[in-house]
Amino acid sequence: MEFLNFLNQEPWRFILSFGVVLFLTLNLAAILVMGERKVAGYIQLRYGPNRVGPRGLLQPLADIIKLFTKENISPGKADLWIFLGAPIAMFIPVAAVWLVIPFAPGAVVADLNVAILFFVAVTSVGALGVIMAGYGSRSNFSLLGALRGAAQMISYEVPLILSLLGVVMLTGSLSLVDVVNAQGGGFWNWYFIVQFPMFIVFYISSLAETKRVPFDLPEGESEIVGGYMIEYSGMTWALIQAAEFAGMGLMAGITTTLFLGGWQPPLPFLDFGQFNWIWFGIKTALIMFTFQWIRWSLPRLRMDQLMDLGWKVLVPLTLVWLVITAGAMLVF
Amino acid sequence: MLSEERRNETVALDGTASERLARPDIRSEFGLETMDMNMGPQHPAMHGLLRLILELDGETVMRCDPVMGYLHRSQEKIAENRMYPAVVPMTDRLDYFANIHNEHGYVLAVEDLLDAELPPRAEYIRVLMSELMRLASHIPSIGFLMLELGAFTPILYAFRERERIQNFLEAITGARMMFHYFRIGGVKADLPPGILEEISEYLDGLEGRFQTDTVDLVTGSEIYVARTKGVGRMTPEQALDIGVTGPPLRGTGVDFDIRRDYPYSVYNELDFNVVTDDAGDVAASYRVRIGEVWQSIRIIRQVIEKMPEGPVMADLGRRLRPKEGDGFGRVESPRGEYAVHVVSDGSDSAYRVHYRDPSFCSMQLLQEVVPGHYLPDIMPIMGMIDPVSGGWDK
Repeated sequence: MEFLNFLNQEPWRFILSFGVVLFLTLNLAAILVMGERKVAGYIQLRYGPNRVGPRGLLQPLADIIKLFTKENISPGKADLWIFLGAPIAMFIPVAAVWLVIPFAPGAVVADLNVAILFFVAVTSVGALGVIMAGYGSRSNFSLLGALRGAAQMISYEVPLILSLLGVVMLTGSLSLVDVVNAQGGGFWNWYFIVQFPMFIVFYISSLAETKRVPFDLPEGESEIVGGYMIEYSGMTWALIQAAEFAGMGLMAGITTTLFLGGWQPPLPFLDFGQFNWIWFGIKTALIMFTFQWIRWSLPRLRMDQLMDLGWKVLVPLTLVWLVITAGAMLVF
Repeated sequence: MLSEERRNETVALDGTASERLARPDIRSEFGLETMDMNMGPQHPAMHGLLRLILELDGETVMRCDPVMGYLHRSQEKIAENRMYPAVVPMTDRLDYFANIHNEHGYVLAVEDLLDAELPPRAEYIRVLMSELMRLASHIPSIGFLMLELGAFTPILYAFRERERIQNFLEAITGARMMFHYFRIGGVKADLPPGILEEISEYLDGLEGRFQTDTVDLVTGSEIYVARTKGVGRMTPEQALDIGVTGPPLRGTGVDFDIRRDYPYSVYNELDFNVVTDDAGDVAASYRVRIGEVWQSIRIIRQVIEKMPEGPVMADLGRRLRPKEGDGFGRVESPRGEYAVHVVSDGSDSAYRVHYRDPSFCSMQLLQEVVPGHYLPDIMPIMGMIDPVSGGWDK
């Protein structure tokens, strides 16, 4: 295996790990779609998919084959470059942020010292994809959806970023590896305890950022029938869905990393060393399950109520809690 | 989560949002234009085939014109060309979510022409069927309202109940949807043995399930309250002018129910309350529907208790040839007042049949009430009147 040693050198190491992460992101989306349908099934007194493979587990595979073989239809008057570029503009940022998340001790593709800034900057590009999709499709419904999506995603970035600051202040670093290391030693050291209001604000904002119920106004299937993605079909639609679901997984992963200790085990004696990615996986899956639970239980807010909640409740709350955090850090 | 002041703000009447956005001077100063939007007829939330022509200013609806006719089947004309008994199965196709009431209205109108006297058991069976149908229509309509607000799950819980009620209706009538059970002069067949005990047993279970699975889940939900309180608000005068009947009318505080005010069948022998509410918005009509579910359960229990023995069909002769004149029948369907006017010219088919369908009349409400609301508020307002495509298009 001597000849494979070049893989440990840059840029090959980065290219290889980026490939692996991209592959995992796409798979994650497929698995999440499957999980979502199963969770929805059990919440709604039915079984969910159970025909393809054992207990329906091969359903994502069948879905992917179906989506690949479907014709890709674009509206006659669509702005084709923008229309086709939108799914890519939505998917790439989501895949890119996975690069800075530590899965296990030492297992991180790029240990940036500004990883949190990277996360904030790159996820905000996702709003661009939504605007592109809505504008490029040239349809009233998708335009409304895109405007809603843009307003919502940009507004909720403010509480999202503000709620990160508490963690940054406590850690004194913007590196996600440092954030995780600072939470070692048991679940009582995880930031969701000392930063509980921020954890809630971050959770709500990440629901809004990923356009999940109760903040799924850009899709709003009962009034604007799918919103910005209404004109997409086949693989372009699949890519948008993959971006949505991978974005949901990403937000769950970031929540885990920042507030639930990342790969840190809940109790010190449960430390599995390199296999601590199991803890990361369990916590992320739990957060994703709560996303789905909310999705299938709650109705949707209206645009003005959404803005009220973001600007009049969440932002002041985070500002107050930042002052409290700063004061507490001065005292202790 | 949301401030009390915000929740109480009536979007439609004080119109802060719409006034701000829709002021012509602001629009002309900035060169703003409104957007025309076509909602439907192929739209998942349009309760069938309805097209709304909307004029939008941002998210605010400035004009809302419903366009009907996509499911028109000339029901009234067909009814002129069929013999009287043969029209009953056609009425099933009107409001296909509450067919029994359609049959009941038509049958009442023809019996009014014939001055028919019905055996008491037939009347009690009719009331039993009507109230079962009302349950099977009200419970899903609460689910539809939630579906339109974006919550997908309640509709499936609601349809579980409708499914079980439909099993009873199937056992009694032999059909799942197009029953053709009411006949001029009675009902098709007697109840199958043991069905009353089964219904009674089911109602015991329903009372618990309805409270926990629907009422408790929905009523207290913060988002539900924010989305429905103050939305679609109308005054009693407005509602009466438009001709709204049923739960939306009673939600404005008007105490009007055909079952009590113009009793038909044996409703005057039964004890029940007419549920009203003062708010006049979507939340009020929801509360009225919840209340009516409890009242229907109460009525069915009384019917089961009082069910007399005897024949279920009056002998009106082989061929129905009513004298010349008018026949009129009105019933309280789950959506409001369903009335049938039959004009006879002495032959064996009607000269003219007219159906007054609550879905059709309440639909005017969209034009009056929706402007000034936000686009997503159209859906709960549709859920408030809960129209059925087959009803408004006939």
